[in-house]
Amino acid sequence: MQADPCFHCGEPVPSVCRLEVEIQGQSQPVCCAGCEAVANLILRSGQSRYYQFRTAKATRPTDEDAGVEQAWGHFDERRPLWGSALKDGSYELLLQVEGIRCAACAWLIRGQLEPRMGIRQVQVDVATGFVRINWLPHKLRLSKIAAILSGIGYRPHLPLAGAETMSRQEERRDALKRLGVAGLGMMQVMMYAVGLYAGDAMGISAGSERFLQWISLVVTTPVLVYSGRVFYTGAWRSLRLLRVGMDVPVALAISIAFVMSCINFLLGSGHVYFDSVVMFVFFLSLGRYAELVIRHRNLQTGLALARLLPEWAERVGDGSENGPGEKVPAMDLRTGDRVRVRAGQTFPADGRIIRGGTEVDEALLTGESRPLSKNIGEDVIAGSINRLQTVEVEVSTDPGDSTVSVMGRMLLRSQTHRSRFARLSERYAGWFVAFVLVVAGLTALWWLIHDVAMLFPATLAVLVISCPCALSLATPAAIASSSRALLERGILLTRGVALEVLGGVNTVVLDKTGTLTTGSPTIAGTLINPVRVDHDHAGVLYVAAALETDSSHPVSRAFDSVKTNRTAVSDVIHHQDGVEGRVDDKFYLLGNAALMRANGIELPDPGGRVWLADKTGWIARFELDDGLRTGVSDTIAALKARGMDVMILSGDQQQTVALVAERTGIDTWYAEQNPKMKMELLESLQASGKTVLMVGDGINDAPVLSAANVSMTVSGASELANSTADFILTGESLALVETVFATAIQTRKIIRQNLFWALCYNLLAVPVAAAGYILPWMAALGMSLSSLLVVMNSGRLAGRRIPGVVVQTARGSSR
Amino acid sequence: MSMLYVLIPLAVLLLAVAIWALIWAIRSGQFDELESHGWSVVLDDDQKPPPVGNDIEKHSNYNKE
Repeated sequence: MQADPCFHCGEPVPSVCRLEVEIQGQSQPVCCAGCEAVANLILRSGQSRYYQFRTAKATRPTDEDAGVEQAWGHFDERRPLWGSALKDGSYELLLQVEGIRCAACAWLIRGQLEPRMGIRQVQVDVATGFVRINWLPHKLRLSKIAAILSGIGYRPHLPLAGAETMSRQEERRDALKRLGVAGLGMMQVMMYAVGLYAGDAMGISAGSERFLQWISLVVTTPVLVYSGRVFYTGAWRSLRLLRVGMDVPVALAISIAFVMSCINFLLGSGHVYFDSVVMFVFFLSLGRYAELVIRHRNLQTGLALARLLPEWAERVGDGSENGPGEKVPAMDLRTGDRVRVRAGQTFPADGRIIRGGTEVDEALLTGESRPLSKNIGEDVIAGSINRLQTVEVEVSTDPGDSTVSVMGRMLLRSQTHRSRFARLSERYAGWFVAFVLVVAGLTALWWLIHDVAMLFPATLAVLVISCPCALSLATPAAIASSSRALLERGILLTRGVALEVLGGVNTVVLDKTGTLTTGSPTIAGTLINPVRVDHDHAGVLYVAAALETDSSHPVSRAFDSVKTNRTAVSDVIHHQDGVEGRVDDKFYLLGNAALMRANGIELPDPGGRVWLADKTGWIARFELDDGLRTGVSDTIAALKARGMDVMILSGDQQQTVALVAERTGIDTWYAEQNPKMKMELLESLQASGKTVLMVGDGINDAPVLSAANVSMTVSGASELANSTADFILTGESLALVETVFATAIQTRKIIRQNLFWALCYNLLAVPVAAAGYILPWMAALGMSLSSLLVVMNSGRLAGRRIPGVVVQTARGSSR
Repeated sequence: MSMLYVLIPLAVLLLAVAIWALIWAIRSGQFDELESHGWSVVLDDDQKPPPVGNDIEKHSNYNKE
């Protein structure tokens, strides 16, 4: 009998469950008391429309949600967790809330919170799951807010890094204000410019012309001061470091155009370029704003590191085995505390096991997904998962110094370190500025000797005509176009410079698990011992799958697809190297060659991944396919054809890595590497002059990804790894790596063309201007045309098909 | 054409008002999140939640035992 799914959360309703809620006169089934309570609360508050308009089902409340108010009581008196204090005595609290899935959720939360005493305003960001609450702590307790949220089925996380997110919001608001002001100003000044140009063509009274110029100046000045200020501060900052950053030519360009216009206006002769100034400021602000939004989105996911650790821990006294535990915030744990960690839970802090023994999954740090057995006296690290049974742990480091926290700091440091890499166009920018200044100086000198009357106009003409607008746009325009092109192919570019750096990469480092392989093996072949005629193909698979039913070992996933009867299994014991147990009352062993040797079973060959045996001897050998990601071999071949050094850097065991390296055709590989060793290896590569691209997916790769010159994450990568990556590949195939390379090379070409054009234009126009032959309209036209050409040339990147390099190389090299 | 001398300064004044309005809107957070407010037009109607809800306390601890 197929029951209806739960009305609230959409999960199947257990057949024994008789709970129902009544909505608009109809009764609907719910799956548990939790869903019933939440649904009833929503209906009683008059918010039944939530069910009508929601576009996703709710999450099912768990037992953990029950004690929320009591647990959060720990925070009621802690001022730092109230959020940031505002001037009027209220606080602004930023909470990440789990379970927000659609706009109807946002409405529901606002509807529940806003009518409360002590809550002024609530904002819900559906995309990121953040809820911003403006509240008065003396009217309402923090634990009450948490209780209200969990009462309607949303789980609040502890507030963290409030100040940082606030300043990020300020930064975004400021950028938006600058953009808005520049945009409004641009519309006005452009309008006056139309009048002025029309006047040039058809005649205009001297008074009207003067008035239009005057009003343009009045509007341009505040726009330049307000919106253009960032470029000046940026230019000043890089000049103080004795570098010529991209802001220097920008600041120079807008200053020259503006000062020139002012001089011409005051002299009452010549052209004014106020429209060019505001337009330029607006387009650059637009680019900067887009960059900022992308950067902030990445930072938001950077918070994910904090989410790896549990927020709560169960602290126990020195008492007996089943003594009562106290639920405390994990950040309150101190060295020497005893914590109880149940099966399936994550260890809240680094520590040593003092009671019980279990298996833990340290995939977070080592990338090794095979559980390790840990007994009394052995160390466990925060963030690893308890797989088997409840243990008690004595905390050995304060949570702030745990391995994971240290890794987080490592990550931050390498991120700031990397930003020192210079951009391609910045190298040109310095030369260009020097060139313009030298030519302007020479022009002034020439006219000083020959004709003093021409000194001023000719020098200014040189400065205007060489206005580095085209140069400043050369790189950003090309990168904007190719990031659009990449997006269409399922590749997210998060840091524009990466495209430039990628062109110089000569070493590619790949992670194994999850990057080269998909992480879940499949059965490639079965060999049955010819002597054992009592077993057939289906029979051995049935036995193996039965033994692996409850195993969390990655190898067991290979048998997931085999139909078996789990009730036929008994007396199962899991070992490091495999599993033993009874199936249909017969004893079997399943595991690797080491397990077989340990049990005195003779094998025909020492290799092979998985063997099945009984007491009399071996029965079958299973060949496992590691499940290489699609396009791996072709991509490796293509990368090698480009002259790259390709290597594997993995936390996995020697033999596994060697096997994958052999199958993918990679000669250099490093196995059993922990994050710190990976870092050191990467640094030594970079020290020997290599430019490194790192491709990875796991949390343990995050620091290395962030330290590499360029980084990519593949589909299915962890949020944290994505937050540090320059490119995020969303497609399944690794061939996308090659696509990125092709795009990067084309982008480099286009940038070169742009820069070449910008320089050519200047080389042609500057001598003419120096000779004193440039008319004002020519200068304005030249300035606009050169910029337009650069933008249009870059546009070719977005439209053009990137040739299928991968396919061609594959045909040429393999077979 | 002398009308321009009045109209253009008037337009500049309007521009100043527009910029002030924009900055006020950004400051008060109206551009921070653009999703849920659009929905509130569709969702919100006269079905207001009760002003004080003591029943919430009863239900939020539904399976606390």
